[in-house]
Amino acid sequence: MRNMEPDQNGAEVPVIELRHVEKHYGDLHVLKDINLRVGKGEVVVIIGPSGSGKSTLCRTINRMETIDAGEILIEGVPLPVEGRELAQLRAQVGMVFQSFNLFSHRTILDNVTLGPTDVLHVPKKEAREEAMRLLARVGVESQAHKVPAQLSGGQQQRVAIARSLAMHPKAILFDEPTSALDPEMIGEVLSVMTELAGEGMTMLVVTHEMNFARRVADRVIFMDAGSIVEENTPDAFFSHPKSQRAKDFLDSIQNH
Amino acid sequence: MSISQLLSEFGSQYAEALFTTWKLTALSFSLAFVIGVAVTVMRVSPVRPLRIAGEIYVQIFRNIPGAALLILLVYAFPYLNIVWSYFTCVLIAASLIPAAFCSEYLMAGINTIPVGQIEAARSIGMTFVQTISKVVIPQSLRSSVLPLTNLLVATMLTTALASQVPLKPRDLTGLVAHINTHAVGGVTAFFISAMLYCGTAVVIGQVGNLIDKRVRILR
Repeated sequence: MRNMEPDQNGAEVPVIELRHVEKHYGDLHVLKDINLRVGKGEVVVIIGPSGSGKSTLCRTINRMETIDAGEILIEGVPLPVEGRELAQLRAQVGMVFQSFNLFSHRTILDNVTLGPTDVLHVPKKEAREEAMRLLARVGVESQAHKVPAQLSGGQQQRVAIARSLAMHPKAILFDEPTSALDPEMIGEVLSVMTELAGEGMTMLVVTHEMNFARRVADRVIFMDAGSIVEENTPDAFFSHPKSQRAKDFLDSIQNH
Repeated sequence: MSISQLLSEFGSQYAEALFTTWKLTALSFSLAFVIGVAVTVMRVSPVRPLRIAGEIYVQIFRNIPGAALLILLVYAFPYLNIVWSYFTCVLIAASLIPAAFCSEYLMAGINTIPVGQIEAARSIGMTFVQTISKVVIPQSLRSSVLPLTNLLVATMLTTALASQVPLKPRDLTGLVAHINTHAVGGVTAFFISAMLYCGTAVVIGQVGNLIDKRVRILR
Protein backbone atom coordinates (compact mmCIF):
# COMPACT_ATOMS: atom_id res chain seq x y z
CA MET A 1 0.00 0.00 0.00
CA ARG A 2 1.32 3.44 -0.86
CA ASN A 3 1.62 6.04 1.85
CA MET A 4 -1.20 8.40 2.59
CA GLU A 5 -0.42 12.09 2.77
CA PRO A 6 -0.06 13.36 6.30
CA ASP A 7 -2.11 16.46 7.30
CA GLN A 8 -0.81 19.25 9.55
CA ASN A 9 -1.16 17.05 12.62
CA GLY A 10 0.80 14.29 11.02
CA ALA A 11 -2.32 12.11 10.64
CA GLU A 12 -3.21 10.60 7.31
CA VAL A 13 -6.07 12.20 5.38
CA PRO A 14 -7.55 9.72 2.93
CA VAL A 15 -8.69 11.00 -0.46
CA ILE A 16 -11.95 9.11 -0.03
CA GLU A 17 -13.43 8.14 3.28
CA LEU A 18 -16.78 6.52 4.05
CA ARG A 19 -17.96 6.28 7.65
CA HIS A 20 -20.90 4.12 8.67
CA VAL A 21 -22.69 4.63 5.35
CA GLU A 22 -26.20 3.18 5.10
CA LYS A 23 -28.57 3.08 2.17
CA HIS A 24 -31.97 1.50 1.55
CA TYR A 25 -34.02 1.08 -1.60
CA GLY A 26 -37.41 0.75 0.03
CA ASP A 27 -37.19 -2.45 2.09
CA LEU A 28 -33.91 -3.48 0.51
CA HIS A 29 -30.89 -2.64 2.66
CA VAL A 30 -28.29 -2.05 -0.09
CA LEU A 31 -25.42 -0.59 1.94
CA LYS A 32 -24.85 -1.74 5.50
CA ASP A 33 -22.45 0.17 7.74
CA ILE A 34 -19.85 0.75 5.04
CA ASN A 35 -16.48 2.00 6.26
CA LEU A 36 -13.80 2.56 3.69
CA ARG A 37 -10.66 4.66 3.28
CA VAL A 38 -8.79 5.17 0.04
CA GLY A 39 -5.43 6.86 0.42
CA LYS A 40 -3.64 9.05 -2.10
CA GLY A 41 -2.30 6.99 -4.99
CA GLU A 42 -4.06 3.88 -3.80
CA VAL A 43 -5.89 1.52 -6.13
CA VAL A 44 -8.80 -0.18 -4.41
CA VAL A 45 -10.77 -2.79 -6.30
CA ILE A 46 -14.27 -3.76 -5.19
CA ILE A 47 -15.51 -7.18 -6.19
CA GLY A 48 -18.53 -9.20 -5.28
CA PRO A 49 -21.58 -10.93 -6.73
CA SER A 50 -24.12 -8.86 -8.64
CA GLY A 51 -26.57 -7.15 -6.34
CA SER A 52 -23.97 -6.94 -3.58
CA GLY A 53 -24.09 -3.13 -3.60
CA LYS A 54 -20.66 -2.49 -5.08
CA SER A 55 -21.87 -0.21 -7.88
CA THR A 56 -24.16 1.63 -5.50
CA LEU A 57 -21.24 2.15 -3.14
CA CYS A 58 -19.15 3.54 -5.98
CA ARG A 59 -21.95 5.87 -7.05
CA THR A 60 -22.50 7.31 -3.55
CA ILE A 61 -18.98 8.72 -3.52
CA ASN A 62 -19.81 11.55 -5.95
CA ARG A 63 -23.44 11.50 -4.85
CA MET A 64 -24.90 9.99 -8.00
CA GLU A 65 -26.74 8.08 -5.26
CA THR A 66 -27.77 9.66 -1.98
CA ILE A 67 -27.16 7.92 1.34
CA ASP A 68 -29.51 7.51 4.31
CA ALA A 69 -26.96 7.71 7.09
CA GLY A 70 -23.23 8.01 7.65
CA GLU A 71 -20.64 10.31 6.20
CA ILE A 72 -18.61 10.55 3.03
CA LEU A 73 -15.52 12.74 3.00
CA ILE A 74 -13.30 13.78 0.13
CA GLU A 75 -9.87 14.82 1.43
CA GLY A 76 -11.46 15.19 4.83
CA VAL A 77 -14.29 17.46 3.63
CA PRO A 78 -17.87 16.15 3.90
CA LEU A 79 -19.70 15.70 0.60
CA PRO A 80 -22.00 18.69 -0.01
CA VAL A 81 -25.68 17.79 -0.28
CA GLU A 82 -26.56 19.69 -3.43
CA GLY A 83 -26.11 22.81 -5.51
CA ARG A 84 -22.96 24.49 -6.71
CA GLU A 85 -20.80 23.05 -3.91
CA LEU A 86 -21.74 19.53 -4.93
CA ALA A 87 -21.04 20.32 -8.59
CA GLN A 88 -17.62 21.69 -7.63
CA LEU A 89 -16.85 18.57 -5.68
CA ARG A 90 -17.92 16.32 -8.52
CA ALA A 91 -15.50 18.21 -10.76
CA GLN A 92 -12.71 16.90 -8.50
CA VAL A 93 -13.75 13.25 -8.55
CA GLY A 94 -13.76 11.57 -11.93
CA MET A 95 -16.19 8.86 -12.89
CA VAL A 96 -16.03 6.27 -15.62
CA PHE A 97 -19.27 4.43 -16.31
CA GLN A 98 -20.09 0.96 -17.59
CA SER A 99 -21.89 2.40 -20.63
CA PHE A 100 -19.24 5.09 -21.43
CA ASN A 101 -21.88 7.86 -21.51
CA LEU A 102 -20.08 10.11 -23.95
CA PHE A 103 -22.15 13.08 -25.11
CA SER A 104 -23.48 11.71 -28.37
CA HIS A 105 -24.10 15.09 -30.04
CA ARG A 106 -20.53 16.33 -29.60
CA THR A 107 -17.23 15.28 -31.16
CA ILE A 108 -14.69 13.22 -29.24
CA LEU A 109 -12.58 16.33 -28.78
CA ASP A 110 -15.58 18.32 -27.47
CA ASN A 111 -16.38 15.53 -25.05
CA VAL A 112 -12.97 15.98 -23.48
CA THR A 113 -12.88 19.80 -23.55
CA LEU A 114 -16.43 20.50 -22.33
CA GLY A 115 -15.62 20.01 -18.64
CA PRO A 116 -12.40 22.06 -18.63
CA THR A 117 -13.88 24.99 -20.61
CA ASP A 118 -17.32 25.15 -19.00
CA VAL A 119 -16.64 23.99 -15.45
CA LEU A 120 -13.00 24.93 -14.85
CA HIS A 121 -13.05 27.94 -17.23
CA VAL A 122 -9.85 26.90 -18.96
CA PRO A 123 -9.30 28.90 -22.19
CA LYS A 124 -10.57 27.00 -25.28
CA LYS A 125 -7.19 26.71 -26.99
CA GLU A 126 -5.47 25.40 -23.90
CA ALA A 127 -8.27 22.91 -23.27
CA ARG A 128 -8.04 21.62 -26.84
CA GLU A 129 -4.29 21.17 -26.62
CA GLU A 130 -4.55 19.24 -23.39
CA ALA A 131 -7.47 17.19 -24.74
CA MET A 132 -5.36 16.19 -27.75
CA ARG A 133 -2.52 15.17 -25.43
CA LEU A 134 -4.93 13.09 -23.33
CA LEU A 135 -6.51 11.50 -26.40
CA ALA A 136 -3.02 10.60 -27.62
CA ARG A 137 -2.25 9.12 -24.23
CA VAL A 138 -5.25 6.79 -24.43
CA GLY A 139 -4.54 6.12 -28.12
CA VAL A 140 -7.56 7.67 -29.85
CA GLU A 141 -6.20 11.01 -31.06
CA SER A 142 -6.91 10.06 -34.67
CA GLN A 143 -10.64 9.91 -33.83
CA ALA A 144 -10.80 13.40 -32.28
CA HIS A 145 -13.19 14.83 -34.84
CA LYS A 146 -15.59 11.91 -35.02
CA VAL A 147 -18.71 11.51 -32.88
CA PRO A 148 -18.98 8.79 -30.21
CA ALA A 149 -21.23 6.47 -32.27
CA GLN A 150 -18.44 6.15 -34.86
CA LEU A 151 -16.04 4.64 -32.32
CA SER A 152 -15.80 1.12 -30.93
CA GLY A 153 -16.80 0.51 -27.31
CA GLY A 154 -13.20 0.21 -26.21
CA GLN A 155 -12.32 3.49 -27.91
CA GLN A 156 -15.33 5.21 -26.37
CA GLN A 157 -14.37 4.03 -22.90
CA ARG A 158 -10.82 5.29 -23.38
CA VAL A 159 -12.27 8.67 -24.40
CA ALA A 160 -14.40 8.59 -21.25
CA ILE A 161 -11.21 8.07 -19.22
CA ALA A 162 -9.59 11.00 -21.04
CA ARG A 163 -12.68 13.11 -20.28
CA SER A 164 -12.22 12.32 -16.57
CA LEU A 165 -8.48 13.01 -16.67
CA ALA A 166 -9.04 16.41 -18.29
CA MET A 167 -10.59 17.56 -15.02
CA HIS A 168 -7.38 16.71 -13.09
CA PRO A 169 -9.37 14.72 -10.54
CA LYS A 170 -8.15 13.81 -7.07
CA ALA A 171 -9.50 10.32 -7.65
CA ILE A 172 -11.35 8.42 -10.36
CA LEU A 173 -14.25 6.08 -9.72
CA PHE A 174 -14.60 3.23 -12.21
CA ASP A 175 -18.06 1.65 -12.18
CA GLU A 176 -17.64 -1.66 -14.03
CA PRO A 177 -15.70 0.02 -16.85
CA THR A 178 -15.28 -3.13 -18.95
CA SER A 179 -18.59 -4.89 -18.36
CA ALA A 180 -20.23 -3.52 -21.52
CA LEU A 181 -17.26 -4.29 -23.76
CA ASP A 182 -16.66 -7.08 -26.22
CA PRO A 183 -13.91 -9.36 -24.89
CA GLU A 184 -11.30 -8.18 -27.41
CA MET A 185 -11.70 -4.59 -26.23
CA ILE A 186 -11.39 -5.19 -22.51
CA GLY A 187 -7.60 -5.36 -22.64
CA GLU A 188 -7.13 -1.93 -24.21
CA VAL A 189 -9.20 -0.27 -21.47
CA LEU A 190 -7.53 -2.21 -18.66
CA SER A 191 -4.08 -1.32 -19.96
CA VAL A 192 -4.95 2.39 -19.86
CA MET A 193 -6.18 1.90 -16.30
CA THR A 194 -3.01 0.00 -15.38
CA GLU A 195 -0.91 2.88 -16.70
CA LEU A 196 -2.94 5.36 -14.66
CA ALA A 197 -2.44 3.28 -11.53
CA GLY A 198 1.28 3.19 -12.24
CA GLU A 199 1.34 6.98 -12.48
CA GLY A 200 -0.09 7.25 -8.98
CA MET A 201 -3.74 8.04 -9.73
CA THR A 202 -6.07 7.33 -6.81
CA MET A 203 -8.60 4.83 -8.10
CA LEU A 204 -11.65 3.00 -6.84
CA VAL A 205 -12.58 0.27 -9.29
CA VAL A 206 -15.70 -1.88 -9.31
CA THR A 207 -14.96 -4.75 -11.65
CA HIS A 208 -15.29 -8.42 -12.46
CA GLU A 209 -11.76 -8.52 -13.92
CA MET A 210 -10.01 -10.64 -11.32
CA ASN A 211 -6.67 -10.60 -13.12
CA PHE A 212 -6.72 -6.81 -13.12
CA ALA A 213 -7.49 -6.85 -9.40
CA ARG A 214 -4.64 -9.28 -8.78
CA ARG A 215 -2.09 -7.31 -10.81
CA VAL A 216 -3.01 -3.69 -10.13
CA ALA A 217 -4.92 -3.38 -6.87
CA ASP A 218 -3.25 -2.32 -3.66
CA ARG A 219 -6.26 -3.60 -1.79
CA VAL A 220 -9.24 -5.77 -2.70
CA ILE A 221 -12.61 -5.29 -1.07
CA PHE A 222 -15.12 -8.09 -1.22
CA MET A 223 -18.76 -7.11 -0.83
CA ASP A 224 -21.80 -9.30 -0.40
CA ALA A 225 -25.41 -8.40 0.42
CA GLY A 226 -24.59 -4.75 1.11
CA SER A 227 -21.67 -5.29 3.47
CA ILE A 228 -17.92 -5.26 3.15
CA VAL A 229 -17.13 -8.86 4.02
CA GLU A 230 -13.39 -8.87 3.47
CA GLU A 231 -10.63 -6.39 2.83
CA ASN A 232 -7.12 -7.53 2.03
CA THR A 233 -4.15 -7.35 -0.31
CA PRO A 234 -4.87 -9.08 -3.62
CA ASP A 235 -2.38 -11.86 -2.94
CA ALA A 236 -3.84 -12.66 0.46
CA PHE A 237 -7.42 -12.33 -0.71
CA PHE A 238 -7.14 -14.50 -3.81
CA SER A 239 -4.96 -17.20 -2.28
CA HIS A 240 -6.47 -17.32 1.21
CA PRO A 241 -9.95 -15.82 1.34
CA LYS A 242 -11.05 -15.77 4.96
CA SER A 243 -14.83 -15.86 4.68
CA GLN A 244 -16.92 -18.68 3.29
CA ARG A 245 -18.82 -16.18 1.09
CA ALA A 246 -15.59 -15.00 -0.52
CA LYS A 247 -14.51 -18.62 -1.07
CA ASP A 248 -17.85 -19.43 -2.68
CA PHE A 249 -17.65 -16.36 -4.88
CA LEU A 250 -14.12 -17.11 -6.05
CA ASP A 251 -15.10 -20.72 -6.72
CA SER A 252 -18.15 -19.68 -8.71
CA ILE A 253 -16.15 -17.42 -11.02
CA GLN A 254 -13.35 -19.91 -11.51
CA ASN A 255 -15.48 -22.95 -12.17
CA HIS A 256 -16.66 -22.17 -15.68
CA MET B 1 -64.49 34.78 -61.06
CA SER B 2 -61.62 32.88 -62.61
CA ILE B 3 -58.17 32.62 -61.08
CA SER B 4 -56.73 35.11 -63.55
CA GLN B 5 -59.51 37.62 -62.88
CA LEU B 6 -59.04 37.25 -59.13
CA LEU B 7 -55.29 37.63 -59.46
CA SER B 8 -55.50 40.70 -61.68
CA GLU B 9 -57.94 42.36 -59.30
CA PHE B 10 -56.58 41.16 -55.93
CA GLY B 11 -53.03 40.07 -56.85
CA SER B 12 -51.26 42.70 -54.80
CA GLN B 13 -53.58 42.01 -51.87
CA TYR B 14 -52.77 38.30 -52.07
CA ALA B 15 -49.08 39.18 -52.01
CA GLU B 16 -49.63 41.42 -49.03
CA ALA B 17 -51.72 38.74 -47.28
CA LEU B 18 -49.08 36.09 -47.95
CA PHE B 19 -46.49 38.37 -46.42
CA THR B 20 -48.75 38.99 -43.38
CA THR B 21 -49.24 35.24 -42.91
CA TRP B 22 -45.48 34.68 -43.17
CA LYS B 23 -44.81 37.45 -40.69
CA LEU B 24 -47.40 36.13 -38.22
CA THR B 25 -46.06 32.60 -38.65
CA ALA B 26 -42.44 33.61 -38.13
CA LEU B 27 -43.21 35.72 -35.06
CA SER B 28 -45.62 33.18 -33.54
CA PHE B 29 -43.29 30.27 -34.08
CA SER B 30 -40.31 32.15 -32.66
CA LEU B 31 -42.31 33.06 -29.57
CA ALA B 32 -43.73 29.54 -29.31
CA PHE B 33 -40.22 28.13 -29.55
CA VAL B 34 -38.82 30.39 -26.83
CA ILE B 35 -41.80 29.72 -24.53
CA GLY B 36 -41.68 26.00 -25.37
CA VAL B 37 -37.99 25.73 -24.40
CA ALA B 38 -38.60 27.71 -21.20
CA VAL B 39 -41.59 25.55 -20.22
CA THR B 40 -39.57 22.41 -20.96
CA VAL B 41 -36.70 23.56 -18.76
CA MET B 42 -39.27 24.21 -16.01
CA ARG B 43 -40.71 20.72 -16.47
CA VAL B 44 -37.34 19.01 -15.98
CA SER B 45 -36.06 21.33 -13.27
CA PRO B 46 -35.34 20.06 -9.76
CA VAL B 47 -37.73 22.69 -8.35
CA ARG B 48 -41.15 21.12 -7.83
CA PRO B 49 -43.30 24.29 -8.12
CA LEU B 50 -41.63 25.03 -11.47
CA ARG B 51 -42.30 21.51 -12.70
CA ILE B 52 -45.94 21.81 -11.69
CA ALA B 53 -46.28 25.23 -13.34
CA GLY B 54 -44.77 23.83 -16.54
CA GLU B 55 -47.18 20.88 -16.55
CA ILE B 56 -50.15 23.18 -15.93
CA TYR B 57 -49.09 25.41 -18.81
CA VAL B 58 -48.99 22.48 -21.19
CA GLN B 59 -52.29 21.01 -20.00
CA ILE B 60 -54.07 24.35 -20.42
CA PHE B 61 -52.71 25.48 -23.76
CA ARG B 62 -52.65 22.09 -25.40
CA ASN B 63 -56.34 21.71 -24.68
CA ILE B 64 -57.78 25.12 -25.51
CA PRO B 65 -59.13 25.88 -29.00
CA GLY B 66 -57.29 28.75 -30.70
CA ALA B 67 -60.51 30.53 -31.55
CA ALA B 68 -61.65 30.42 -27.91
CA LEU B 69 -58.33 31.86 -26.76
CA LEU B 70 -58.53 34.61 -29.38
CA ILE B 71 -62.09 35.53 -28.39
CA LEU B 72 -60.97 35.68 -24.77
CA LEU B 73 -58.09 38.00 -25.63
CA VAL B 74 -60.12 40.26 -27.94
CA TYR B 75 -63.45 40.43 -26.15
CA ALA B 76 -62.91 39.47 -22.49
CA PHE B 77 -59.55 41.02 -21.67
CA PRO B 78 -60.78 44.58 -22.36
CA TYR B 79 -63.08 44.14 -19.33
CA LEU B 80 -59.90 43.75 -17.29
CA ASN B 81 -58.66 46.95 -18.92
CA ILE B 82 -56.22 44.93 -20.96
CA VAL B 83 -56.56 46.04 -24.55
CA TRP B 84 -54.14 44.75 -27.12
CA SER B 85 -54.06 45.36 -30.84
CA TYR B 86 -55.66 42.69 -33.04
CA PHE B 87 -52.23 41.79 -34.33
CA THR B 88 -50.94 41.24 -30.79
CA CYS B 89 -53.99 39.16 -29.86
CA VAL B 90 -53.55 36.89 -32.89
CA LEU B 91 -49.83 36.62 -32.19
CA ILE B 92 -50.42 35.61 -28.58
CA ALA B 93 -53.09 33.03 -29.43
CA ALA B 94 -50.97 31.60 -32.23
CA SER B 95 -47.88 31.26 -30.03
CA LEU B 96 -49.17 30.15 -26.61
CA ILE B 97 -50.85 27.07 -28.04
CA PRO B 98 -47.98 25.89 -30.29
CA ALA B 99 -45.63 26.53 -27.33
CA ALA B 100 -47.42 23.76 -25.41
CA PHE B 101 -46.91 21.37 -28.33
CA CYS B 102 -43.31 22.53 -28.74
CA SER B 103 -42.67 21.57 -25.11
CA GLU B 104 -44.25 18.16 -25.65
CA TYR B 105 -41.98 17.50 -28.64
CA LEU B 106 -38.93 18.63 -26.70
CA MET B 107 -39.89 16.37 -23.78
CA ALA B 108 -40.12 13.47 -26.22
CA GLY B 109 -36.65 14.45 -27.46
CA ILE B 110 -35.33 14.53 -23.90
CA ASN B 111 -36.64 11.02 -23.34
CA THR B 112 -34.33 9.79 -26.09
CA ILE B 113 -31.23 10.94 -24.14
CA PRO B 114 -29.71 8.08 -22.14
CA VAL B 115 -29.80 9.01 -18.45
CA GLY B 116 -26.13 8.06 -18.23
CA GLN B 117 -25.18 11.09 -20.32
CA ILE B 118 -26.86 13.35 -17.81
CA GLU B 119 -25.01 11.56 -15.01
CA ALA B 120 -21.79 12.00 -16.97
CA ALA B 121 -22.45 15.74 -17.24
CA ARG B 122 -23.08 15.94 -13.52
CA SER B 123 -20.01 13.83 -12.79
CA ILE B 124 -17.71 16.36 -14.47
CA GLY B 125 -19.17 19.07 -12.27
CA MET B 126 -21.74 20.66 -14.55
CA THR B 127 -24.51 22.51 -12.76
CA PHE B 128 -28.16 21.92 -13.59
CA VAL B 129 -28.18 24.93 -15.93
CA GLN B 130 -25.01 23.74 -17.71
CA THR B 131 -26.33 20.20 -18.06
CA ILE B 132 -29.57 21.50 -19.52
CA SER B 133 -27.99 24.01 -21.87
CA LYS B 134 -25.02 21.92 -23.04
CA VAL B 135 -26.36 18.37 -23.08
CA VAL B 136 -30.12 18.09 -22.65
CA ILE B 137 -31.65 20.85 -24.77
CA PRO B 138 -29.15 20.58 -27.68
CA GLN B 139 -29.80 16.85 -28.00
CA SER B 140 -33.53 17.28 -27.56
CA LEU B 141 -33.64 19.96 -30.27
CA ARG B 142 -31.59 17.91 -32.67
CA SER B 143 -33.87 14.93 -32.33
CA SER B 144 -37.04 17.06 -32.58
CA VAL B 145 -36.39 18.77 -35.92
CA LEU B 146 -39.10 16.89 -37.81
CA PRO B 147 -41.87 17.34 -35.21
CA LEU B 148 -40.89 21.01 -34.90
CA THR B 149 -41.10 21.33 -38.69
CA ASN B 150 -44.65 20.02 -38.49
CA LEU B 151 -45.33 22.44 -35.67
CA LEU B 152 -44.15 25.33 -37.84
CA VAL B 153 -46.67 24.33 -40.51
CA ALA B 154 -49.38 23.92 -37.87
CA THR B 155 -48.51 27.33 -36.47
CA MET B 156 -48.90 28.86 -39.95
CA LEU B 157 -52.35 27.30 -40.24
CA THR B 158 -53.19 28.56 -36.73
CA THR B 159 -52.47 32.13 -37.81
CA ALA B 160 -55.63 31.85 -39.96
CA LEU B 161 -57.28 32.84 -36.70
CA ALA B 162 -56.46 36.35 -37.86
CA SER B 163 -59.43 36.09 -40.24
CA GLN B 164 -61.73 36.24 -37.20
CA VAL B 165 -60.70 39.77 -36.29
CA PRO B 166 -60.53 42.90 -38.46
CA LEU B 167 -56.76 42.73 -38.88
CA LYS B 168 -55.12 45.10 -41.35
CA PRO B 169 -53.28 44.16 -43.49
CA ARG B 170 -55.25 40.92 -43.82
CA ASP B 171 -53.77 37.43 -43.68
CA LEU B 172 -54.43 34.83 -46.39
CA THR B 173 -57.64 33.51 -44.84
CA GLY B 174 -58.88 36.97 -43.88
CA LEU B 175 -58.40 38.11 -47.47
CA VAL B 176 -60.58 35.28 -48.78
CA ALA B 177 -63.34 36.31 -46.37
CA HIS B 178 -62.92 39.89 -47.56
CA ILE B 179 -63.04 38.99 -51.25
CA ASN B 180 -66.13 36.87 -50.78
CA THR B 181 -68.01 39.66 -49.05
CA HIS B 182 -67.05 42.28 -51.65
CA ALA B 183 -66.94 40.24 -54.84
CA VAL B 184 -67.91 36.76 -55.95
CA GLY B 185 -64.63 34.92 -55.44
CA GLY B 186 -66.22 31.68 -54.34
CA VAL B 187 -64.13 28.57 -53.92
CA THR B 188 -61.53 29.92 -56.34
CA ALA B 189 -60.56 32.65 -53.89
CA PHE B 190 -60.04 29.96 -51.27
CA PHE B 191 -58.08 27.88 -53.76
CA ILE B 192 -55.50 30.63 -54.33
CA SER B 193 -54.94 31.05 -50.58
CA ALA B 194 -54.78 27.29 -50.14
CA MET B 195 -52.09 27.05 -52.82
CA LEU B 196 -50.06 29.76 -51.10
CA TYR B 197 -50.35 27.94 -47.74
CA CYS B 198 -49.40 24.67 -49.45
CA GLY B 199 -46.43 26.16 -51.26
CA THR B 200 -45.12 27.61 -48.03
CA ALA B 201 -45.64 24.30 -46.20
CA VAL B 202 -43.75 22.39 -48.90
CA VAL B 203 -40.79 24.74 -48.59
CA ILE B 204 -40.88 24.47 -44.78
CA GLY B 205 -40.99 20.67 -45.05
CA GLN B 206 -38.02 20.55 -47.41
CA VAL B 207 -35.94 22.86 -45.26
CA GLY B 208 -36.90 20.84 -42.17
CA ASN B 209 -35.73 17.63 -43.83
CA LEU B 210 -32.43 19.22 -44.78
CA ILE B 211 -31.83 20.49 -41.27
CA ASP B 212 -32.78 17.12 -39.79
CA LYS B 213 -30.25 15.34 -42.01
CA ARG B 214 -27.52 17.74 -40.96
CA VAL B 215 -28.07 17.71 -37.21
CA ARG B 216 -29.44 14.23 -36.52
CA ILE B 217 -27.48 12.53 -33.75
CA LEU B 218 -25.79 9.23 -34.50
CA ARG B 219 -26.57 6.77 -31.73
